[in-house]
Amino acid sequence: MGVVVGPRVIDAGASLFSVLISPVAVAAGFPSPAQDYFDGRIDLNAYLIKDITSTFVVRVTGDSMEGAGISDGDELIVNRALEPKDGSVVIAVLDGELTVKRLRLTASGVVLQAENPKYPDINVTALSELTIWGVATRCLHHV
Amino acid sequence: MSKPAIMRQMPQIAHVDVNCFYASAERAFDPSLEGRPLVVLSNNDGCAVTRSPEAKALGISTGDPWFKLAPRAKEWGLVAKSSNYELYGDISSRVMELLGRYSAWLEVYSIDEAFLGVKGEPEQLLALGRRIKEAVRRHVGVPVCVGIAPTKTLAKLCNKWAKNNPAFGGVCHWDSVPWQQRESLMDRLSVEEVWGIAGRLTKRLNVLGIFTVLDLVRADPVVIRDKFSVIVMRTVLELRGTPCIPMEEERIGRDQLIFSRSFAKPVTTVAGLRQVLSIYGQQASARLSKHGLQAKVLTAFAATSPFRQHEQAYPSVCVSLPMPTADPLLLARAAHALLPGIRDGLQYAKAGIMLTDLRPTGNQSPLKLFENRHEERGIGPLLEDVSRKFGRGSIGLGQAGIKTGLDWTMKRDMRSPRYTTHWDELPLVRAA
Repeated sequence: MGVVVGPRVIDAGASLFSVLISPVAVAAGFPSPAQDYFDGRIDLNAYLIKDITSTFVVRVTGDSMEGAGISDGDELIVNRALEPKDGSVVIAVLDGELTVKRLRLTASGVVLQAENPKYPDINVTALSELTIWGVATRCLHHV
Repeated sequence: MSKPAIMRQMPQIAHVDVNCFYASAERAFDPSLEGRPLVVLSNNDGCAVTRSPEAKALGISTGDPWFKLAPRAKEWGLVAKSSNYELYGDISSRVMELLGRYSAWLEVYSIDEAFLGVKGEPEQLLALGRRIKEAVRRHVGVPVCVGIAPTKTLAKLCNKWAKNNPAFGGVCHWDSVPWQQRESLMDRLSVEEVWGIAGRLTKRLNVLGIFTVLDLVRADPVVIRDKFSVIVMRTVLELRGTPCIPMEEERIGRDQLIFSRSFAKPVTTVAGLRQVLSIYGQQASARLSKHGLQAKVLTAFAATSPFRQHEQAYPSVCVSLPMPTADPLLLARAAHALLPGIRDGLQYAKAGIMLTDLRPTGNQSPLKLFENRHEERGIGPLLEDVSRKFGRGSIGLGQAGIKTGLDWTMKRDMRSPRYTTHWDELPLVRAA
């Protein structure tokens, strides 16, 4: 059974999240007890991207979503195919710009909520009047 | 006209294409462009190659040189974008992947259009067309129209109707349109709008009194063959509902080359696909050379069969080549960027490569030697690393340096970010 050990050049054009979890070093002549358990490295694509055709990565500018754990400069994984629900963090089109907000579907209407008291909520009369670009599924927060 | 059930079950062809593809791809990531006149420019920002409907309404034509449009751009509110092939290549491969889920019989005809083999009752086919349209819009963010008919030529025609007649809602199925309406639509469309009838043929057809699509349908195929060619006769037969133009798997267009094949037997290993991609790289290279072209961007893709019950996967990658090339080794190597996305054990039914951002070879033959030698020393990747960090043009080989500004570097002053292929150029979303 062959195990690929060592660094691999990942092409700029290749998948966005090819991460190498270093396999255990194997001493020559002595079979590693871990060898039989190696089952391929963790593929972040497989875990973070459910559908490659509809998934995009965007970068956040601004601090209005701090309360949701989304900071300035973080990347969001966005799935365009998901149905936006009450509570979804969505990318909406506002004034010709892509904007990230928390979607609230209330009895009195649709609200785009910021997660920072410094920013006001935006009221929209109906969901149909709002263009939802996609639904954020993960935040890649810089720690 | 009702046909027996068996006839209606004959396979039909769906033609799907993206409306104003390049402009729509730009708009998908920059909503401020919505509703504005927008043109996308050819290589070196030469002339308009794609126009948004608003730009068409201004009277701008395909091929209008940018230097003539630029002085009036402000007054018109016209926005111009340089070609962003990395973005278009990725959006295209997403669309094609998605289409592949609706039929295993897929011919990627160009960067923005494909033919699909489909079967079903008229209502089912109409519903399928609408599902496809909705899925592409929602998943990828670009609008498409769908034409479905018994032949490729009619499917293209239906697509045109779907685009130009709002009543169709973007999906037109030949058999679902009443015969009288078909006749009047064909009577109103100039014969040059038919797939395969070039502008030059139009004049010669006009001489014979053939002005509209309907005139051509009514022409005698044998007379057409004698006066023109068997190819034009085929077009007539196709317009009459007899399939004559088979599905193809390779095509070279003005600005892209697509090479894809369905496998007779599924390929199930990374090693197998490596071999397939190497062969495609070489074949594509030969094609490029034949047409005196080099490519700058390569997209490689593979797909499992949507009809099999096992796990499905549609990996694809878009690779920006360090320099325009037709070198088989470089192309094959670029195609191999797909391999990390391939899983052993899955049954891949097809694979392909698409070359975009094509440009004439020019007088660069001596450079090939240098290219290869540097490749071996790994200088290519090093240059690419430096360029990625410090920007295009920050470093170059002697010869390439001399070429800068002439053949190598493209003028792309108005290029949008490569939103989906470059980590440093992701779309920005406002949190404010």
